[in-house]
Amino acid sequence: MDPDDVEAFLERECELLDSGDFAGWVDLCTDDAVYWMPVSSDQTDPLGEISILYENRTLMELRKFNFGHPLAPSFEVPVRCSHLLGRVDVLERRPDEVKAKVKFHCLMWYRREQRMFAGHSTYQLVPNGKSFRLRFKRVDLLNADDWHKSIPIYL
Amino acid sequence: MSPGQGTFDASTLRELVRDDRVHRRVYTDPDVFALEMDRLWGYAWIYVGHESQVPKPGAFLTTTLGAQPVIMVRDHDERIHVLHNRCAHKGAKVATAPCGQTSVLRCPYHGWSYNLDGSLNTVPHSVGFEGTGFNPDSTAFHLSPVARVARYEGFVFAQLHDSGVTLEAFLGDTRRTIDNVLDRSPTGKVSIAGPCLPYLHDCNWKMFVENLNDAVHPMVAHASVGAACREYMEVHKPDAPPTEAEIIFPFGSSYEFFDKMGVTALPHGHSYMGGKSSIHSSYPDIPGYYDSLVDRHGEEKTKEVLSQNRHNTTVYPSFTLKDAIQALRIVRPISVDRTLIETYHLQLDGAPEALLHRTITYSRLINSPASMVGPDDWDCYTRIQEGLGSHGTDWVYLGRHLGRDQVDGEATTALGTSDLSARNQFRAWLQYMTAHAADGYGP
Repeated sequence: MDPDDVEAFLERECELLDSGDFAGWVDLCTDDAVYWMPVSSDQTDPLGEISILYENRTLMELRKFNFGHPLAPSFEVPVRCSHLLGRVDVLERRPDEVKAKVKFHCLMWYRREQRMFAGHSTYQLVPNGKSFRLRFKRVDLLNADDWHKSIPIYL
Repeated sequence: MSPGQGTFDASTLRELVRDDRVHRRVYTDPDVFALEMDRLWGYAWIYVGHESQVPKPGAFLTTTLGAQPVIMVRDHDERIHVLHNRCAHKGAKVATAPCGQTSVLRCPYHGWSYNLDGSLNTVPHSVGFEGTGFNPDSTAFHLSPVARVARYEGFVFAQLHDSGVTLEAFLGDTRRTIDNVLDRSPTGKVSIAGPCLPYLHDCNWKMFVENLNDAVHPMVAHASVGAACREYMEVHKPDAPPTEAEIIFPFGSSYEFFDKMGVTALPHGHSYMGGKSSIHSSYPDIPGYYDSLVDRHGEEKTKEVLSQNRHNTTVYPSFTLKDAIQALRIVRPISVDRTLIETYHLQLDGAPEALLHRTITYSRLINSPASMVGPDDWDCYTRIQEGLGSHGTDWVYLGRHLGRDQVDGEATTALGTSDLSARNQFRAWLQYMTAHAADGYGP
């Protein structure tokens, strides 16, 4: 395991989001995985305070069925995104878990509007053979507390 | 008054609102919007905030009443003031942070500072004002207060102009929703928990407010989440539906379910759905909570308190509260086609943490801009805003179950899928809009 492995995994993880393969993205996750997008950068309590997203595997599975559903008005038009990742910072490396942080820019195209998201993501990864599985991803947006319009996808 | 408003005499406005339909201009015309800010948002009691958000002297928050920027602040005598957020000197907003703590409200431009009641504290280098019209004791040189501020059980409302109606009379039967939230607290106290969740909408404010008690849309607009929940159950075959599915699934409930919930319209444009059965009535109990309520109320009243489930009590035009969920949303119109919705969450003092966690989970799953429910509503509102630009037809039809209402004192009830609440909102809308603002009259 070297930083390149972590970087390759994060690139792949974001590529799944960018290509709209949400089911493939969920397949990267452990059963106890959590995706967290706080509404403020100093948020420490995901249960007692509101977040933009705080989703467990159950919600990911529900979202998998809802994603792009022909009956969902919000998915009648396509939503596309494109991530650009900065240098990967491996914060901690244990045999059973790797913690990493990466800066990102992500453009989202939705309803004839291109919106810019930027910030950093913090990951907990579980080694799995030559790669990893995703146990935790926290997305700290630069403008977490902004007046957001709909964000129909994970960033 | 902005240009164009003068063209709206009472008869023109009455032409826009009929018994069973409204003209598309009420949603799309910037001049109608400007008039609404004057006559409706200017005279109704508008929700400002909860007293727990300004817990001690010097604590303040900034918000808007219609188009007016205001500051809500607690002074050293524990009085809560709502002041226009505009320096008496050159007009700069004296506070721009969403909330904070201060000893004086100080304008960062020329340093004029104000006491917590809005009176002038100091003006730097005031020697130059000597012998001019400047008078520090004159309210013209203070942060001017809005016309009226009142609290109901900690919920602070304000009026930009005095309409003559007390807050209690204005709230009317919607007070029972607020009372119920307090009754659900083992100590009778509630407070705002954590930050708010903002959600910016590309639509007129009325589309959001009308949707609160629109029970015909869930089965269609939220059909996909219902289908996703069913699919989840089929694929994963859990012994019992997960909590998350229990929260989302009712949004795809049948017309019959919503009809049975019923809708109740009240004076001043207020309304609510349900009462005894709502989409929130089948949530499981949280250990310890029931007993803590029995300690306060006794068994009989506790059952009564927990059986009240009013879905989206709407205090027209600015505030909506779910008693069984303890989440409230604030409507902040920005322009004719932009509206900010802020969701806040109430913590019931003395209740198990799990209850707040459930409130937060519910809200994240339903009200978040990234949820699987909110964006479908958002999309529909935006389509309406765009579609109403069409000259295809001028009218929006609100006639479902017209003429089949049941009148019970001040309340009017109907089947849940009736358009009663929207018609009731427009009745109040027309009253506000055709009243003469200069006479200080509101409905």
